[in-house]
Amino acid sequence: MAVEDIFDAVLAYQDDEIGALTQAEIDAGTDVRMILDDGLIAALDLVGEKFSMGTLFVPEMLLAADAVQAGLEVLRPLLVDTGFQPIGTVVLGTVKGDLHDIGKNLVGMMLEGAGFRVIDLGTDVDPARFIDVAQENEADLIAVSGLLTTSMPEIERAVAAVHDANRSRNLNVKVMVGGPPVNQLFADRIGADGYGLDAPAAVERARQLVA
Amino acid sequence: MAWTSRERVLAAVNHEQPDRVAIDLGGSGASSIVIDAYDRLKHHLGLEHETTVMSRLNHLAQPDESVLRRFGVDTRPISARGRRGGSGRWVDELTFIDHFGVTFKGTTGTDDKHFLYKDGPLHGGELTEDRIDAMAWPDPDDPSMTDGIKDQVARYKAAGDYCLVLNVPDQVIHRAYALRGMTDFLKDFYRAPEAACYLMDRLADYNIRASENMIREAGAENIDVIFFGEDLGTQDGCMFDPDATYGRLIKPRHERIIQTLKSLTGGKSLFHCCGSAYLFLDHLIDIGVDILNPVQVNAKNMEPERLKGEFGDRLAFWGGIDTQDLLPHQSADAVRAEAERCIEIFGKQGGYILNAVHNIQFEVPPENIVAMYDAGVNHRYR
Repeated sequence: MAVEDIFDAVLAYQDDEIGALTQAEIDAGTDVRMILDDGLIAALDLVGEKFSMGTLFVPEMLLAADAVQAGLEVLRPLLVDTGFQPIGTVVLGTVKGDLHDIGKNLVGMMLEGAGFRVIDLGTDVDPARFIDVAQENEADLIAVSGLLTTSMPEIERAVAAVHDANRSRNLNVKVMVGGPPVNQLFADRIGADGYGLDAPAAVERARQLVA
Repeated sequence: MAWTSRERVLAAVNHEQPDRVAIDLGGSGASSIVIDAYDRLKHHLGLEHETTVMSRLNHLAQPDESVLRRFGVDTRPISARGRRGGSGRWVDELTFIDHFGVTFKGTTGTDDKHFLYKDGPLHGGELTEDRIDAMAWPDPDDPSMTDGIKDQVARYKAAGDYCLVLNVPDQVIHRAYALRGMTDFLKDFYRAPEAACYLMDRLADYNIRASENMIREAGAENIDVIFFGEDLGTQDGCMFDPDATYGRLIKPRHERIIQTLKSLTGGKSLFHCCGSAYLFLDHLIDIGVDILNPVQVNAKNMEPERLKGEFGDRLAFWGGIDTQDLLPHQSADAVRAEAERCIEIFGKQGGYILNAVHNIQFEVPPENIVAMYDAGVNHRYR
């Protein structure tokens, strides 16, 4: 019995066993933060690295994220008891006029696995809704995604709306962008605070933005 | 002797030089144009006519003969009515349930309308063979699949010697995504591989049967190119493992469809795969694919020089003019220069059919479409 077993179970996509492994580790008295950091988060980071390198793919990412979720479910009440705070709150969604969501979902799962609180608004999301939900939940970050080229002006509008709201409502929300037609150049041009080439890169950038 | 359109495309596919580069627009459901962009184009060209809808769900136009002639288009499509055939129904303006029982939802509030599958008969729970069998399968012999095809072919043949493209009416993985949900079906490759393969087998059967009916109506000898495919790549990589998942689980189903339809018609296989297809190309060549579409040149490892250099002797390329940045956002001069570059690289010793990467999108200005096609029309092999 060791935290490595949890780590290994994530890499083997054993979401049906990870709950029991996590519980056993808790019962053995292992520090809850250690189970989270060295077991679940470390494993998902490695999966993300392999995804970025092109040795693991979308199905494997989805399965690893499921396994981490199963572990988190067991850990979550204990984390709350120990006063654990998520490293940040992210409001996530696909922009107005776009219904694509697999990449956005991957980012959401990876962010959650990395210790963020994630509020996923789904697809075809109005800019005002991103901001309202972020304000209500005191979010640190809004992450907007789109697949279509026609989504690029919508992404730009959403970013502008966040900056406007930061001024007019006195908020301090950072905004990240992503999706196939988006690149760093575009992100810089429209004044986004962050961009990720893929889900692991988005998580890395989100970590920097809340650090 | 002037080259006919059919001769021109087939020479290109056979890696021989025709008189000029071969040109496609609307030959397939992935090489056409979004209705709004088409309407602006026809006004720009001064060609007034009512726009024919190729697909309401995909918001695509079927370009008129006058536009096709203006651009020297060498292809003509043979398709099931409504692109996929079958009897679907509109619940309201934004909700469509198709013949597989898949619900499509449309976007709201933006000019660019599009629809995506949101619910289907295999959503949720575990994927099992029993559930797959219990689903209400559409009838591949549904007359809407073949309705009008005989007349369509006769019209094309009367008008000229075009390269006729059979559009296989459905897909395998993409149909499975629609029935099951993309996330769950991707996980089924691990969680329920046998049921996933069973579903893909049944979908291959459906596509083959429906295509056989279409071929019978069209006349097997009239089919020059068989269009089929699905997206295996992403912008910067592979959707799934090219060998363990594609090679082992999906490829045998694709192979059966492509080989069956090629042997029935003698047509060439045109395979559509968005994103980075690079790591799948050896597999595709292995199952008999002759031509790659849409050749998404700005995805990872998809540069024209790389593709032509590594695969140009075994694959022809159909597409290649970037739709993510070049066509919507850059100048007509830039489009012309890039089209000429693609013709030069991809078209060396044949091997290239000029077309945009996928359907020409909503916001593409007509000047850029004209610039792209004029680069083809004005091209001559020396």
